[in-house]
Amino acid sequence: MVNLPGMNCGLCGYRSCEEFAVPLASNPDLIKRCIYLSDNKLKSTHPGQKSTEIKTNYCSGETHQSCVSASCGRQSDTVKVTKNKTEWRDSLDRDFDFYLDQFPEDPGPREVIIPHNPMLTRELEIQKGEILIGRPLGMSCGCPITHCGIVHTVDHRTGVITWFVTGPLDPREKGFKDMGYYIAEGYEGLVTESRVDIKLGMRYFFQPRRCMLNWRHSGLVNYVNRTPDGLQVRVEGLWIG
Amino acid sequence: MSRDIYFDNSATTPIDPAVAQAMDPWIDEYFGNPSSMHRIGRQAREAVELARHQVAQLINAKAEEILFTGSGTEADNTAIVGLFELAGGQPFHLITSAIEHPAILETCRYLERRGAEVTYLSVDSSGMVDPEELASAFEPHTRLVSIMTANNVVGTIQPIAELARITRDHGALFHTDAVQAAGRIPLDVHVQPIDLLSLSAHKIYGPKGCGALYVRQGIKLEPLLHGGGQELGRRSATENVIGIVGFGVAADIARVEMSRESARLVQLRDRLIRGIVDTIPNAYLIGHPFRRLPGHICIGFAGQEGEAIKMLLALDQEGIAISSGSACSSNHATEASYVLKAMGFDPLRARGGLRITLGRFNTEKEVNEFLEVIPRVVDSMRTITSRAV
Repeated sequence: MVNLPGMNCGLCGYRSCEEFAVPLASNPDLIKRCIYLSDNKLKSTHPGQKSTEIKTNYCSGETHQSCVSASCGRQSDTVKVTKNKTEWRDSLDRDFDFYLDQFPEDPGPREVIIPHNPMLTRELEIQKGEILIGRPLGMSCGCPITHCGIVHTVDHRTGVITWFVTGPLDPREKGFKDMGYYIAEGYEGLVTESRVDIKLGMRYFFQPRRCMLNWRHSGLVNYVNRTPDGLQVRVEGLWIG
Repeated sequence: MSRDIYFDNSATTPIDPAVAQAMDPWIDEYFGNPSSMHRIGRQAREAVELARHQVAQLINAKAEEILFTGSGTEADNTAIVGLFELAGGQPFHLITSAIEHPAILETCRYLERRGAEVTYLSVDSSGMVDPEELASAFEPHTRLVSIMTANNVVGTIQPIAELARITRDHGALFHTDAVQAAGRIPLDVHVQPIDLLSLSAHKIYGPKGCGALYVRQGIKLEPLLHGGGQELGRRSATENVIGIVGFGVAADIARVEMSRESARLVQLRDRLIRGIVDTIPNAYLIGHPFRRLPGHICIGFAGQEGEAIKMLLALDQEGIAISSGSACSSNHATEASYVLKAMGFDPLRARGGLRITLGRFNTEKEVNEFLEVIPRVVDSMRTITSRAV
């Protein structure tokens, strides 16, 4: 007979230890429902797979090879070029060349998209300031996460939308229009940290700073403008990985 | 659609009507400042002290060990920063876990920038801290251990008594953020040798804007707020009398109702878990099967984790409020990712948790309604996800 702790906590699903004792007598396995008696036993019953310890990985100093060897020799005044940094690895341990940040004045990362059916831009009468949700489908990005954002500009002739990717709070609180799928055509943002010097016309691996999965993306840099805030870039021809 | 089901009681709870009723006269009729010497002021003082006693009883503390704050976050900050400041630049090492609420983690990072050393303990796949890992983490200058009583994302309850005893054996102080646990599971600061404990009123059917910190008698903290010397000089500011009165009544109700309410919620919770797992083949429970808060469910859907936000929105449109363990590229990103990642989930699965938290005003009928709706919502996601689930 097990001595129950007498806490009468209700966590076993019974209002008192006395009540719990009745089913426990015929089914001793129920004891695992008592968190006070099963502290140590549960660990062996439900062995928790130890997760990776949080620790800082210090870079060994090796030079990581990226998809592009970009060395124009001209160092940007506004972009900190740091070669020996462990941050140049994504969550799948793949290397990348720079972080893409949002513009400080924007509510979220700026993205140029087109609904998978471009007619939706007109059919849904999408307007500036409206909240949209959708998932980037297919070859352009193929992200498995549904995205939410606020419309910045709309081109009803081509169906192209520029939006700021924000979070689910806005659609939840204010309502939304659902694009279903969309194609991510381009990103615009700032580069303030890079491990290479960025050149127009080159394709790079990069990490959108707010990517929830911390997956590297790749894309062609087709606009570069050095500003006091950092290097303004537009990246198109996007792929994840 | 007239349904309105609130299953997000870990985010906040509705104010209990009895609490609202108790607060009501303090909104206009009794408006005194508890520091005033006259009758109107003394009325307010009496109300604050009664509430202090009520909150203390919830954790078996003495009334004078309760310090009212503006929130649970402020209570956490008062404990951690207060001890750090008191150390006056001496080496300061503190130990916490990787899955704490941002009120702890961000405070630790702030202290790291100011020269403190912080050890972040790992957790296992159910979100449990290993007491042995804690025991091996102490340094000669470890002054504080802060580990939450129960996690806000997955609901896992830590072996607080054991962790607190280990800490005491090593000569450090033990703080626990009990914001999610208080009023839901028994807490006794004597049985569990806890030195500092944070509480929040709005998680126990009280008002927002009111928290408390239990400070074991004899422990000194450098105050964060300086001024008129309220709360025995530990937190200067005119007391939030309305909120404190509500907090006291809420604590009283929680203490009296706890065992009956917990048993009821555990039964509803387990019915909901079974209902989901039995009818949706790709559903899986996140966290510990039993060591979890009574009404707390965190569930994932294999192969559909990326659609968590969409599920949340679809349920919202059905009139059901739950919480997502995910947020997309958001400044408002929730804390789920780092908690689930620390539990060993890969980045995609770490985005897929739906948090369903039941509370005092939820009924079996609502659980049944939810179980009718959820398979349809999950199934509707399949048109936009791979069928290979």
